[in-house]
Amino acid sequence: MKKILIVDDEQDIVESLKFVLEASDYTCYCAYNGEDGLRLAKEILPDLIILDVMMPKINGYKISRLLKYDNKYKNIPILMITARSQEEDKLIGEETGVNEYITKPFELDYVVEKVNQYLKES
Amino acid sequence: MVRILLISDREKLKERFLKLLSLNKYHVETAFDTQVVSDLVKIAPPDIMIFDTGINLDFKVLSKAIKPFCEKAIVLLLTAEEFSDRELIKYANGFIPENANDEIILGTLNMNLRMKNTLEKLSDTNKDLQDSLSRQSALYSTSSQFAGTLDKKKLINFMVEGIDRALSFSLTCTLSFCEDEPVLLINSLHELSEEIISALKLRTILQYKSLFENEKIPYNVDINNLKVIKHIKDNASRFTFDIFHYDNMFASIRLGENFYGCVEIFKESQFSSDDATCFQTIVQQVALPLKSASLYQEIKETNLKLEKLERLKSEFISIVSHELRTPLTSIKNALDILMTGKCGDINESGTKFLDMAKRNVQRLSGIINDLLDLSKIEAGKMDFHFKSINIHQVIDYVKSTLSILAKEKNLTLIIDETENLPDINADSQRLEQVLTNLVSNAIKFTPEGKKITISSRLLNASDIEVHPYFQDEINKLKGDYIVVSVKDEGIGIAEKDLLHAFDKFAQIENSLSRKVGGSGLGLPIAKQLLDAHKGAIWCSSELEKGSDFCFAIPVATGKAVTRQETPVLTR
Repeated sequence: MKKILIVDDEQDIVESLKFVLEASDYTCYCAYNGEDGLRLAKEILPDLIILDVMMPKINGYKISRLLKYDNKYKNIPILMITARSQEEDKLIGEETGVNEYITKPFELDYVVEKVNQYLKES
Repeated sequence: MVRILLISDREKLKERFLKLLSLNKYHVETAFDTQVVSDLVKIAPPDIMIFDTGINLDFKVLSKAIKPFCEKAIVLLLTAEEFSDRELIKYANGFIPENANDEIILGTLNMNLRMKNTLEKLSDTNKDLQDSLSRQSALYSTSSQFAGTLDKKKLINFMVEGIDRALSFSLTCTLSFCEDEPVLLINSLHELSEEIISALKLRTILQYKSLFENEKIPYNVDINNLKVIKHIKDNASRFTFDIFHYDNMFASIRLGENFYGCVEIFKESQFSSDDATCFQTIVQQVALPLKSASLYQEIKETNLKLEKLERLKSEFISIVSHELRTPLTSIKNALDILMTGKCGDINESGTKFLDMAKRNVQRLSGIINDLLDLSKIEAGKMDFHFKSINIHQVIDYVKSTLSILAKEKNLTLIIDETENLPDINADSQRLEQVLTNLVSNAIKFTPEGKKITISSRLLNASDIEVHPYFQDEINKLKGDYIVVSVKDEGIGIAEKDLLHAFDKFAQIENSLSRKVGGSGLGLPIAKQLLDAHKGAIWCSSELEKGSDFCFAIPVATGKAVTRQETPVLTR
């Protein structure tokens, strides 16, 4: 089973994502802050990461940058969840290697669809 | 008494002249030696010099030597009958023949004296004229300088410059309240010692306070902390305490209730009454531009504050909206999961309430999106992608997305397009947003079974007719426009509410509008979006009969609209 790491300080969001993704036969790992997220990512080497932008300690962009500049992790797709939809955010995202953007409030089905796109292809 | 210098060494002649002239109340001196003559001339320049050409002294040489000291003196040459050196006339005002009788001599002197007096008077008048001319031109250039700036500090400097041009003072002390703190401006010809500056400070402050004997002084001045700015023309020399014996004038710079400072001016020579008028004029003249400058500054500050408030408000809305989105996402996700039935079966009434919750979450998220849109436009952060499009595409899109909604309510959606309309330069997504908003409003407010008509036309700005409320909007337009109208048979809007139709949060008080809900931001957003397109939006309506919402977009002129930023509201 493919492994997905969900990092978001909003527990409810992690919960609902976990529910629908597990229903689609993925194994989910959860972290509720950036630090844990980064540690877990390195520990379990997930097949995909769902990342929130605004988090205490280490924000989503930082994690994305740290992983994407490391050969060991750079191929892990990253879906970034953001409450904003501003162009400048997308620019930062491109620079830090984010693969996909999901703007809050999002449809759960849409997230599952995107995850499938990345994981069923490979 | 008229002073006469006779230059001769002929005793007989001297005796005759001395006798004749003294009798006629002239003061006569005689000399012969070049040195003595020039000494005499230097000490007391004579009014008349009579030079005896019959003596052994070169008049031309003497004349050159003494001329600088007695330029105004009348020079008469005493000549013998056979005198032939006519060249000498260049150096003299006239001749007296040696053998002339007393009457002729006295007559010649008198005539020349009178001429001299008249000339002097003329030259005085001339000088006065010149003075007043230069004062006029100083006043003129000063007032044009005043008109050229709204900087209070510069205005005060222009005033001092103007006074200097018109009156050429030795020293001015200006106490100015036109900066953040009181300032004493000292403009002086020569350097001043610390003691004199202290004395000037004290003197100026006392004079300032004496202007407000029984009233409260407008600004407090602390002598120990008074800022002094010195402009010294000539550093090499110094003024002594004698400066306080110079002639002086004092004036305050004020306009009605507004007080800006006071000026004192010192000059070594006496001021004339013209000088006083001129000084007063300049000082009074500067008060008006100072007042304008203060008002301008106030307006600028208020504007800055307002802009800051506006920005804060936009930021606040943006932050709040973002914060609202996170919990909203969680609610929506939870509902979605429940509705999939993966957590167990839900009975009929349970589904009904889940639907209700879902519907309201969607509504709430719509309101938040509207708020974000509006705050983005107002903060000038909305991106527009202008390109050449046809209005037909926009109408087509809206028709396809909203016809189901209309059908559900049993409404007839009529599309009445003019064919082959020219293209417009627009952001199609934003125009779709505008039209979607107008049509869904129409659907909301129109009772079942009625019809809604969307039409498009090509109109010149001068042919667009609107309710007087919106005339200002239309007056901005120029040239050809595509006008789109959305006409419904709904509840309508009362005339008094028309004007507020595009105001933020101005959902018109009406039971039905409460029932149909909405953020009340759709129309203000539409207005902002049309402003960004250099278009206009307006409406007409009749209660219980229906409304007609229209917007106009300029026809593309071939040149692409390069404008990317949105207007920042200055309200």
